[in-house]
Amino acid sequence: MDFKVNSKQLEKLLTKIIPAVPTRTPMTILENFLLEIKSGLLTIYATDMEISLKSSINIVSEKDIKIVVPARMLYETVRSFKDTSIDFTISENKKLILKTSTGEYSFSYIDAKEFPEIPSFPQQENDVDINEFNISGNDLKDAFELTAFAMSKEEMRPAMTGTLISFNEEGIRFVATDGHRLVNMLKTGHQTNINEQYIVPERAITVLLKILDDKEVKVFVNKTHISFVLSDIELISRLIGQKYPDYQSVIPVENEFALKINTKDLLSSIKRMMIFSPSNSRRVKFSINANLVEISAEDVDSGSAGKESIICEYSGDQIDIGFNSSYVSDVLSHLNYEEVYFKLHSSTKAVIINPDKNKENENLMMLLMPVRLNN
Amino acid sequence: MTKTIFHLDLDAFFVSVERILDPSLEGKPVIVGADPSKGRGVISACSYEARKYGLHSAMPINQAYKLCPFGIYLSGNHRDYGRFSHSVKKILEKYAPVIEQASIDEFYMDFTGCSKIYGNLFQFAGTLQKEIWDKLSLPCSIGIGSTRTIAKICSDFNKPKGITYILPGMEKEFLKRLPAEKLPGIGKVTIKNLNAKGFYTLGDIAAFPEDYFITAFGKHGSDLWRKANGEGSGFLNPPAKRKSISKERTYAEDVLDKNEIERTLFDLAGKVCQVLREKNWLTSTVGIKLRYSDFNTLTRAKTIKPTDDDKIIYEETLKLFRNAFTRRVAVRLIGIHLSNFSEFNEQEVLFEDENIVRKKMLRAVTKIRNKYGYSSLKIGTN
Repeated sequence: MDFKVNSKQLEKLLTKIIPAVPTRTPMTILENFLLEIKSGLLTIYATDMEISLKSSINIVSEKDIKIVVPARMLYETVRSFKDTSIDFTISENKKLILKTSTGEYSFSYIDAKEFPEIPSFPQQENDVDINEFNISGNDLKDAFELTAFAMSKEEMRPAMTGTLISFNEEGIRFVATDGHRLVNMLKTGHQTNINEQYIVPERAITVLLKILDDKEVKVFVNKTHISFVLSDIELISRLIGQKYPDYQSVIPVENEFALKINTKDLLSSIKRMMIFSPSNSRRVKFSINANLVEISAEDVDSGSAGKESIICEYSGDQIDIGFNSSYVSDVLSHLNYEEVYFKLHSSTKAVIINPDKNKENENLMMLLMPVRLNN
Repeated sequence: MTKTIFHLDLDAFFVSVERILDPSLEGKPVIVGADPSKGRGVISACSYEARKYGLHSAMPINQAYKLCPFGIYLSGNHRDYGRFSHSVKKILEKYAPVIEQASIDEFYMDFTGCSKIYGNLFQFAGTLQKEIWDKLSLPCSIGIGSTRTIAKICSDFNKPKGITYILPGMEKEFLKRLPAEKLPGIGKVTIKNLNAKGFYTLGDIAAFPEDYFITAFGKHGSDLWRKANGEGSGFLNPPAKRKSISKERTYAEDVLDKNEIERTLFDLAGKVCQVLREKNWLTSTVGIKLRYSDFNTLTRAKTIKPTDDDKIIYEETLKLFRNAFTRRVAVRLIGIHLSNFSEFNEQEVLFEDENIVRKKMLRAVTKIRNKYGYSSLKIGTN
């Protein structure tokens, strides 16, 4: 026997790492874990070349070991055990053998040098390019949950497929957009002296949202990679090395008409109108009058239509404006506030959507582009 | 319930329009169709004066020229015809609850139960005819019957400027004496077949059992027998959504020069895309039709990402053409065919890139051409 681990402890470790194992990849080596034991510390790595995860536990082991083992097979096996102790043996013929009180299982392993190199932070000594900051797990989770839905799914403009993180004296700003809607959120109260901005890819955010807890997160970032160090796991991701579109220039300054409306009422109305909206444009029409907004949708192809009215507070000229209903629904379902403001200028210009008052350490603004109404 | 179907047919429509545009054509044999000097094509319409010489629509133009060398031959302008046809439709829409435009000069209308509003429908047909004449100077004939077929036969029964109303129950009596070829849908082949079997009038057909026609002509035979007996559908088809857009060019002289055909494709691509954008549609299937001078015809099509851009359509059709044009034989006809439409998404965008700018440019081009005509603007190659 080379080392010994409790099955539940190992399962917990593997569960954290498995999200980084790609399901389909031309590089079959990536379907494996890199398993490393170094002076009593067992570390598991996985990567899909875009992101990598690593996590460690302390074990009792005499030897230092570094091998590559089939990820899903090991994970499924360990997961199926009840609480028991597993003995691991590395045999001469390239087999990893697991023994429990009742059974024996063996996997072929591959030499560690076959596994692609995983970047690491901040071990590179005196690397001047590395920036670092701390943020609470809750804040980071909040920020990514609120912005992630607006990221683009189209590969045409790679920069927009990620979320922008930028820094200023007020705090950390998170921005995501697909060109039709934009979320711009400032988390205040974080002092950094960083002067750069970075684009974190969608994959890193999806995995992060699965593993983030309320503990403090240490973030290291250089020109090409970002590392999120959680209490028991580290996620390293490539950054998107593209120029982010100039989002500040599209934030309108002249939106003088303000509509204040109950978020839940509007959302439930939008969800109903979605049923009647045309399947390609998903268009709904807002006819906004003083104190009343009529929301209507019509699908000529199926010959169906619906409309309803909601009481609101509105200061401005009567206006008819169209939106993609699923975008409105996305925006509203991410706004956990009783009332929201729509600030408008005309039926073809960007609309600003704000909560009625911001949370303590947060400043949130969304933009939504209308869909043209062709009457 | 017995239906009351009107069939309104504009008399010698293209010729009537030409006469409005050029009154000097009045009383002369006018033939609209191809240019006889080019020796190709057929008559689209001819005036009643020309019909005296034995001319009729669909007659090859060189044959017509032999019969009536003094006729006035016009190539015709479909834009004008479309405009007048539209005006007629506007008048009819004021009165008819259900309307089906069967072609540029033919309309079916369902006036079932409308005598309570318009009084005697025979007289009402006269008022309708007069209004179209007074407002547009276009003569028309109206047929009224209980089915589409009866109404259509009626409108043809007393041309020009006729009104024929077959009262319900009298259909069989009316059809009995008519020659079989008066029935719409009976062509040269069927009539030859019928005559060979001894059927000359619709009465001959009606008198025989239906089973005989089913055995002899299949499903078509059953339709034939029922129509000859005055039965048939009185339902009008609401205007169907357009399923395809195509433009073709038949060359006056067959063309072997690849470059010239490609230039034609460029031209046609611009035109189909103009129609596409006017309708606010995107197409996902683009195809070409290629006819060699020996009438061998082939079609090729391809599915693409939804678009309304001339450039993409041109490039795709060019590829299809280059792959398809393998014979060293001159080309008689080339055409572009678009189908599989989706609505243009009017979503506004935050960040303008080249694609968006180009889309906006194309929208503007469409608007200008819509107002000042297609040739008012030309898109160059960079």
